[in-house]
Amino acid sequence: MPRITVVERDYPAIAAKMGALGPLVDELGVTTKGLTYRVEREVEYLKGKNGAIRGGPADGRPSLVRDIHACETILALSGTTNGHLATQGFRTLEQRTGTRLADLAAEHEGKRIAFADTQAAPVPVITSPEWSGSETGGRRYSPFTINVERRKPWHTLTGRQHFFLDHDWMADLGEQLPVFRPPLDMTALFAEPGIGDLGPAGITVRYLTPHSKWSIHSEYQDNLFMLSLSRGGQTIWMSEKDAVKIGVADNDWIEAVNRNGVVVARAIVSHRMPEGTVYMHHAQDRLIEVPRAETSGRRGGIHNSLTRLLIKPSHLIGGYAQLSFAFNYLGPTGNQRDEVTVIRRRSQEVVY
Amino acid sequence: MRVMAQMAMVMNLDKCIGCHTCSVTCKQAWSNCSGVEYVWFNNVETRPGQGYPRAYEDQERWRGGWELNRRGRLRLKGGGRLRKLFTIFSNPKLPSIDDYYEPWTYDYDTLTTAPLQEHTPVAQPRSLISGQPTKITWSANWDDNLGGAPDHLHRDPMIKGIEDKVRLEFEKTFMFYLPRICEHCLNPSCAASCPSGAIYKRSEDGIVLVDQDKCRGWRMCVSGCPYKKVYFNHRTGKAEKCTFCFPRVEVGIPTVCAETCVGRLRYIGLVLYDADRVLAAASTPDDKDLYEAQREVFLDPNDPAVVAEAERVGIPRDWIEAAQRSPVYALINKYRVALPLHPEYRTMPMVWYIPPLSPVVDIVRDTGHDAEDHGNLFAAVDALRIPVEYLANLFTAGDPAPVDAVLRKLAAMRSYLRDINLGREPRESIPESVGMTGEQVYDMYRLLALAKYDERYVIPPAHAEQAHGLEELATECSLDYEGGPGMGGSGPFGESSGGASPIAVENFRMLRDRQTSDTYAAPVDKGSRVNLLNWDGKGTPDGLFPPKEES
Ligand code: SF4
Ligand code: SF4
Repeated sequence: MPRITVVERDYPAIAAKMGALGPLVDELGVTTKGLTYRVEREVEYLKGKNGAIRGGPADGRPSLVRDIHACETILALSGTTNGHLATQGFRTLEQRTGTRLADLAAEHEGKRIAFADTQAAPVPVITSPEWSGSETGGRRYSPFTINVERRKPWHTLTGRQHFFLDHDWMADLGEQLPVFRPPLDMTALFAEPGIGDLGPAGITVRYLTPHSKWSIHSEYQDNLFMLSLSRGGQTIWMSEKDAVKIGVADNDWIEAVNRNGVVVARAIVSHRMPEGTVYMHHAQDRLIEVPRAETSGRRGGIHNSLTRLLIKPSHLIGGYAQLSFAFNYLGPTGNQRDEVTVIRRRSQEVVY
Repeated sequence: MRVMAQMAMVMNLDKCIGCHTCSVTCKQAWSNCSGVEYVWFNNVETRPGQGYPRAYEDQERWRGGWELNRRGRLRLKGGGRLRKLFTIFSNPKLPSIDDYYEPWTYDYDTLTTAPLQEHTPVAQPRSLISGQPTKITWSANWDDNLGGAPDHLHRDPMIKGIEDKVRLEFEKTFMFYLPRICEHCLNPSCAASCPSGAIYKRSEDGIVLVDQDKCRGWRMCVSGCPYKKVYFNHRTGKAEKCTFCFPRVEVGIPTVCAETCVGRLRYIGLVLYDADRVLAAASTPDDKDLYEAQREVFLDPNDPAVVAEAERVGIPRDWIEAAQRSPVYALINKYRVALPLHPEYRTMPMVWYIPPLSPVVDIVRDTGHDAEDHGNLFAAVDALRIPVEYLANLFTAGDPAPVDAVLRKLAAMRSYLRDINLGREPRESIPESVGMTGEQVYDMYRLLALAKYDERYVIPPAHAEQAHGLEELATECSLDYEGGPGMGGSGPFGESSGGASPIAVENFRMLRDRQTSDTYAAPVDKGSRVNLLNWDGKGTPDGLFPPKEES
């Protein structure tokens, strides 16, 4: 179970507190991946670098007033940019694991990457226990090299990489080893029409939401250059065969509807899509060229308007060895990315 | 023999992921202002596909480039001077804005200024030409990833003649990306088409530029270029084109598109060629022999006779050494894996391409075979007329043999290197089967796969003694000019010397100002943030530059 703590807030002081690095880091240090770093030295350094706050609830603490202060603080508190912390972390880890590690960061013990360094040019990071790879000696990062080469145990029950999960619930679900699970039957579960069904409401197709070619989630998706190099708004890719069945031509406005919501988009018709499946790129935001939907009369939705998290008991396992629970961090299945929707051609006159 | 030096590029198409970073950074650097909203000096098109502007390769329609007359002499396909004079006021072979695309923007403002309302605000598209709300029906890259292919693909001029073999079926899909810039041709038809003599090819490095003072806006170059890589600026009324980033290249750094290329697939280097042979090569009777003919125009930079002649005509020693280390020369003439884009246009293009093996690899793998095995790959290259014939239409005027040969070399490299990677005994029979040695294949692998920065770009800086021929002064260190950061206060020619700062240095200064200023280049009042695409190019709008330091 997660530990539940009462947090007391002094609301009028929040802004002042947020503008400074608080006192708990002195007491508790900073912890990542189960390893705690002592940062008294860094706090002193930041007082000098950013300046200390005078008066108020944050009196004497390092300033976080400016964006650059926040950047310097992050850089000072991470082993990847502060060689002193990286070696400190590895020494702690040496005691816990009994294997030699500190030499991985030793070449950079005195090195500190400041914000100005990152402005001048990209700077390679320092090997640090925060990550599992090694860049020592100019090597390129690849994951788990420390575990493999230095025999640092993996953070699992056995200390090894393993596929087998001996949790009771996993046993009950028959998923102690990876298994194939077919897509959920949305017709049986939620009375959605079956894939391939053609009716007055349109054609029913499998709906996927892969990552975008044009953006990193929503970032950059509203950039005019990238929009000018694509279709300039949100789109759904569909096969020529499905498009013909509902009278849709390339670039026609369509609406996709299911029990979760409504999407208005333009169709990209291509033989690169197999019959029966459409996809809509992940996280095209609802800011650019999204008209109102005929179905609901409201602003059309984005890719996630048609999806919904589907939780099963194994997603809730936590507090057992490497299995932990965090809210909205629901395991590896991504089942909500495999949906069903009904698509039809809509009026080509759109209202924004 | 008349030795000349040419700055040239090779692109390795297997590595292009179609990310368009090159297009965006180029546009930011060179054509991010009004009058050229629709212009992309660098564009990346999905092939098969129409490209940008639409179907530009259809020379029966656009009549760009050169052709041979009945006596076997070169003449502009669009007609000679006289014909040009008659059509000077109504140039009929000019792509219209619809052939490019109607550029647009969005009323982004609404997003932050809309009042409280029932529906969340959304930015609508507006034409950058009329300013009115618009429907988006075409863009600079509409058919990306074969989007809309069932409607448009038959308009790809390169499909002609092989329509029956290119199937629009999911299982038969093949595609690749073709990034394009100006070819900086040895025999540029853009320059030959210009009635004002405004387009010139620099004798030092062969970069083709438009003299903005001489250009009278006739647009004959736009028609004359078969690659459609000269553009008309609607605001200034002059032609503009890719500059091969000459201010960067002159100080020894790669073009913006190459520097920012995510796939690291662009190679820049010098090629020495015999200027006396260009005309004869461009007049080669059979289109299919043009690739070989152009290859033979290039001179071997290691041949002592060539070196002596180059020195005699004043090509600096470090340029000759750069030509000897040139990755472009190696890929074209040593490994023979790079091919010219559309040699049949007879302009002698100088941006060459390594055709992609990946469509072949994909098919071999998808049919359940070992796609690292040279036997399988050779068999597939032989058996699959698509994509080979399509590639041949692009790179060898339709002759599949040179494309076959390149693909086999790439396949051999894949297979040979797998043995090495897996610690097995390398099989020398593999390189032998494509007429190479194991060492050559390894060197080619190093250049293509490891692709180290200083091996990809071998760019000798321009020389001060050539400065009269170049647009700007460049010295050994671009920063060693008067007041420059590289010097303790004195200019390159002593105390009170000076002159215009090289453009690269100006950029450097701007960059430094930006990086050391306290604010971003945005006004304090974000509501009035500048939109460069709506700026008429006059004056300096607020927020374009960081505030000047008070002095
Ligand atoms: S590709 Fe460049 S150099 Fe060649 S004709 Fe066109 S504009 Fe001129
Ligand atoms: S940046 Fe490189 S990889 Fe990306 S599209 Fe351009 S050429 Fe291709």
